[in-house]
Amino acid sequence: MAPSAIDRKRKSVPAEHNETLETDIESEAEFGDGLLEGILSQSESEDSDEESNAEEESDEEEPELDALEALDSDEIPSEDSGSESEEPIGGLVKSNGTKTAVVALREKPLPDEEEEKPNYTVTTDANGGERYVYEEIDPVYDSDDSDAPITTNTIGDIPLSFYDSYPHIGYDINGKKIMRPAKGEALDALLDSIDIPKGWTGLTDPATGKPLNLSQDELEILRRIQTNEMPEEGYDPYPATVEYFTGIEEIMPLSAAPEPKRRFLPSKHEAKRVMKIVRAIREGRIMPYRPPGERQEEEEETHYDIWQDEVPRPDHIMNIPAPKIAPPGYDLSYNPPPEYLPTKAEKQAWETADPEDREKEYLPTSYGSLRKVPGYEKFINERFERSLDLYLAPRVRKNRLNIDPASLLPKLPRPEELKPFPTVCSTLFRGHEGRVRSLAIDPSGVWLASGGDDGTVRVWELLTGKQIWSAKIGDDEGVNVVRWRPGRDAVILSAAAGEDVYLLVPPIVDPETDAASRELLDKGFGHATNATQALTANGARKEPVAKWARPGSRLEDEGVLIKITLRTTVKVISWHRRGDFFSTVSPTAQKSAVAIHTLSKHLTQIPFRRLPGIAQTVQFHPSRPLFFVATQRTIRSYDLQKQELVKIIQPGARWISSFDIHPGGDNLIVGSYDRRLLWHDLDLSTRPYKTMRFHQKAIRAVKYHKGGFPLFADASDDGSLQIFHGKVVSDMMENAQIVPVKVLKGHRVKSNLGVLDIDWHPREPWCVSAGADGTCRLWC
Amino acid sequence: MADVSGESSRQGQVQVYFNTDSPDIELPEEKRQLIVPTDVRRYGLSQILNSESMLDTPAPIPLDFIINGTFLRTTLDEYLTANGLSSETTVNLHYVRSLIPPLYEASFEHDDWISCVDVLSGSSRAGAWEGREVLAGQERILSGSYDGLLRVWNKSGQAIATSVSSSAGGHTSSIKSARFISPTQIASSALDRTIRIWKYTEAQDHFSAELKPVMELYGHKGGIDSIDVHGPSNRILSASTDGSIGLWTTQKSSAPEAPSNMITSGPTAKRRKIATSTSTPQRGPLSLISSHTAPVTAAIFNPLDSTVAYSASQDHTIKTFDLTTSGLVDTRTTSHPLLSLTALPGISTQLLAAGTTARHITLLDPRMSASSTQIMTLRGHTNKIVSLSPDPESNYGLVSGSHDGTCRVWDLRSSRQGTKDEGGGLVGEAVYVVERDSQKGGAKRPVGGEGIKVFGVAWDKDVGIVSAGEDKMVQINRGRGVTRVEGS
Repeated sequence: MAPSAIDRKRKSVPAEHNETLETDIESEAEFGDGLLEGILSQSESEDSDEESNAEEESDEEEPELDALEALDSDEIPSEDSGSESEEPIGGLVKSNGTKTAVVALREKPLPDEEEEKPNYTVTTDANGGERYVYEEIDPVYDSDDSDAPITTNTIGDIPLSFYDSYPHIGYDINGKKIMRPAKGEALDALLDSIDIPKGWTGLTDPATGKPLNLSQDELEILRRIQTNEMPEEGYDPYPATVEYFTGIEEIMPLSAAPEPKRRFLPSKHEAKRVMKIVRAIREGRIMPYRPPGERQEEEEETHYDIWQDEVPRPDHIMNIPAPKIAPPGYDLSYNPPPEYLPTKAEKQAWETADPEDREKEYLPTSYGSLRKVPGYEKFINERFERSLDLYLAPRVRKNRLNIDPASLLPKLPRPEELKPFPTVCSTLFRGHEGRVRSLAIDPSGVWLASGGDDGTVRVWELLTGKQIWSAKIGDDEGVNVVRWRPGRDAVILSAAAGEDVYLLVPPIVDPETDAASRELLDKGFGHATNATQALTANGARKEPVAKWARPGSRLEDEGVLIKITLRTTVKVISWHRRGDFFSTVSPTAQKSAVAIHTLSKHLTQIPFRRLPGIAQTVQFHPSRPLFFVATQRTIRSYDLQKQELVKIIQPGARWISSFDIHPGGDNLIVGSYDRRLLWHDLDLSTRPYKTMRFHQKAIRAVKYHKGGFPLFADASDDGSLQIFHGKVVSDMMENAQIVPVKVLKGHRVKSNLGVLDIDWHPREPWCVSAGADGTCRLWC
Repeated sequence: MADVSGESSRQGQVQVYFNTDSPDIELPEEKRQLIVPTDVRRYGLSQILNSESMLDTPAPIPLDFIINGTFLRTTLDEYLTANGLSSETTVNLHYVRSLIPPLYEASFEHDDWISCVDVLSGSSRAGAWEGREVLAGQERILSGSYDGLLRVWNKSGQAIATSVSSSAGGHTSSIKSARFISPTQIASSALDRTIRIWKYTEAQDHFSAELKPVMELYGHKGGIDSIDVHGPSNRILSASTDGSIGLWTTQKSSAPEAPSNMITSGPTAKRRKIATSTSTPQRGPLSLISSHTAPVTAAIFNPLDSTVAYSASQDHTIKTFDLTTSGLVDTRTTSHPLLSLTALPGISTQLLAAGTTARHITLLDPRMSASSTQIMTLRGHTNKIVSLSPDPESNYGLVSGSHDGTCRVWDLRSSRQGTKDEGGGLVGEAVYVVERDSQKGGAKRPVGGEGIKVFGVAWDKDVGIVSAGEDKMVQINRGRGVTRVEGS
């Protein structure tokens, strides 16, 4: 009660202060309280100011109601004059206190009037005699059958059928006949019954009395029910399933966490909270619904601290200054009187209580003199807490990104839809000692050739993994590369060991093809002897770039027919599609890094006197007379006919390890030692169209499938191969679709080398890989 | 109510109706319907059927039971519960002679990988063609090896004959396929592009024999992966990696001359000429049909009509040929390269089973419309399926040898609907898996079937399942200790 009293006090003080000046700001609350009677009269005059008409009326009526004026100054009298005629009927009695007073005043004269006035009038009839015409009886409460439903028919509780033969159905209270309600013509009814309209039921609607006909919609519903269809039109009993949880099981999901159990269970926590609310509603602690009026009232009751950001202002009547803090009491004194000092028990209670539970923040203490008062002991504490508040308060609102990681992934077809592609290792080719450096499947797709660090070239049966033939061509050096000559007319295998390139005819073919292959190899010997040797500047015979010769009888017996000796170690062999030219790369060489050999003439040419960088690998274009040379950072394409540079492709890789040209000829993949696999669209740009960095270690080899499947693969030192689906569309408007489909693991990493070479089967979606662990693997 | 149903499930009984395809073990009509307890398994049902009141067999015949296309492997009650069937319905039990789990019996060691096996017994094809019976216990097993040698074994594991080496007229390269044409004649094909006919003569004591080269057949330009023989008409059918199918005759007189360009030239030929002491007659093919675009991996005669041949190729097709005109009759394209082929004449005259590189067996009927090529797929192998052999005793049985190092026994009567991932259709699963004995110690199968690949498998009634492969072993498996009544 105390605060409210203060409140009122606060309010009333200025109100009294301003009373003489202004009465307009009176609040309604003060009317209700009825404390200030002097204002009431003024308020009435104020009300009458608003409506001058009303004032005038009351002024006119005032003389009549002098007596009432003394009783109450309310405006009732004006109403009374209006309601005078109603009163004899004895209808309205309001429970208003002022009204009853009025009624009580008038009560006496009323019965006199009633007795005098008869309930009939006397008129003269036709004969001139007296005739009493009675007023109509109003039965009001005097009616004796109060239970009966209010009806005007007075025939009582008898069946209406008694009146069937009469034109009326009974009598009203005055004895007059109540005529039968008008009905449709009998002829109409007959017509209706003959010409049955659609939806005719023959029933009468009890609500309207009209014939009950069914609408078109209702008829349709009936028809559907009869034909066992869904009654509601457009209702789909089997809606498409909404997949809240995907039915597709991911092999590598973004989150490996299993779907938590709580997703499938009704939440206990929620049920608990709901029950809490329900209980609170039952106990009446919270109101489920409040009408808006009540709510407004409550809102009005909220209080605001209007002084919360108070600044000193010049004195003004509109300005209400903040209340003053209570002045310090005796207990705050440095030496309070003994009655203010706490007793021992009080002191102990204060000390044991939590700081927030203490009634006072301080403990009155008596110091003998002012100089004995110590420093403020909580000074450090308060400073510390203040600092803590300042630096722990968050200053920046952190916006947490709430993005479903799955939505960030590009929309790619599922790998299952892109089948076939190699998935499992189906054959192992074991036999090489040391690393297998290179391998190739022959154009017929039956044999696999491989060359390794043990200096042997081996030919395997591709499907069974049986070694069929082997020849040791490198004495000290390993075989760096083996490649089959393209074309089915002859079977020639080229292999490079050290500085020598060998051309071999493995004994796996029929005598006819064997002979053709040998003839093809031997044809150039005549040309070689006739070749003019270039002269150097000082006239001496220039040493030929390469020497074509027989390798010696031991190797010849094994099927090694030609040995081409170059100046430096050959790392790459690349055949032209026609099978007459092949190019070799020896990265360590200065000038003669790239050599092009003509098989039919036994001729070796050095096309580039200078190369900008170390040559890495070369490729012939699959259809046009273009020649691609990869140096460490760029790939240059040259036109062999016009002998000019066509294009410089810049993959942006630091060190290109290998590249391959799409059989269509317009796309290129590049693998680099810095783990990147880059896809180039030659028509689009010299920069890569797509860069993929999925390997842990350097990419050693990349290869397109040349037999019609939109596949390519790369081999990495991390011991894995990655198979990609790379579909090139002939439509220029559409970019190539590149989807990684499979990682093939199995090769062991040996001294930081994993898979060194790959090749695709010429027809099937199978690939072979050469591993540093001494095995080749067929994946299909 | 609950009590009653609970009690009935505890000691429930169900009415069953037995039926079978085998007329010899058929029940009389009035005995076919029976009420059996629901807690019996296959063995219990088999015992019931073998009892005196039912079949009254002298020795019990192990029987398997098929309900709705699947073998009963649980109790009847569990089956009914799993399939949501009421125990008040009549269950149709189709009973068949049980496939005996093939137990390991023996293995014969070789020097090199074995590419093929064939069996000569009284019930084998070669034995049946010849009027003269092969005596029981005198069964012979023929194996062809990658070292280029043929070996003939008796059942106790003795190599009673080995073919001569290449210097004496033998194959100069790995043998890929070998067959008994008759108890005295063998045909073999090899990577050296030749087919050789051998005369096989056994000594009186049956413990030694001689393999003498009779004829060399030239004509293919690639290694010959597979041959099939037909004894009565003396025909050989060959499938070569050069994409052609050859038809040959074993009769020296009627065979055409060998094409000269196939025989000479090349260092290997030169060396052989120097070394060869005996000269074997050389002949050519009756016809060479080059119809496939990729290596042909198998060519077989129709078992019922030797003028019809089927071939399977890596170009995904199965082709039907009319051998009298050497004409191509039909081409069926599947979705995978095919590596092996066998005919199952017992079911329909032209049902073919082909093993694929995609690790399953495709069953198809070349007579049916091209739209429904595939009847059924058998799934379970984990590597290429390179050899197939039909069950000699059942029309529905099949054994397959795969590079994953297992042989699997299949029964075509048991199947299920394939999942979407498998491409739908009917899918069969293996009844038994025969592992390599050489690998029994290892817990895990090696990657790519390395060291245990199966290259050849043959199923004979008298010998059992004979398989051979990369482990240089010929392995024999059969259900032992079970006597079977002779089929009518």
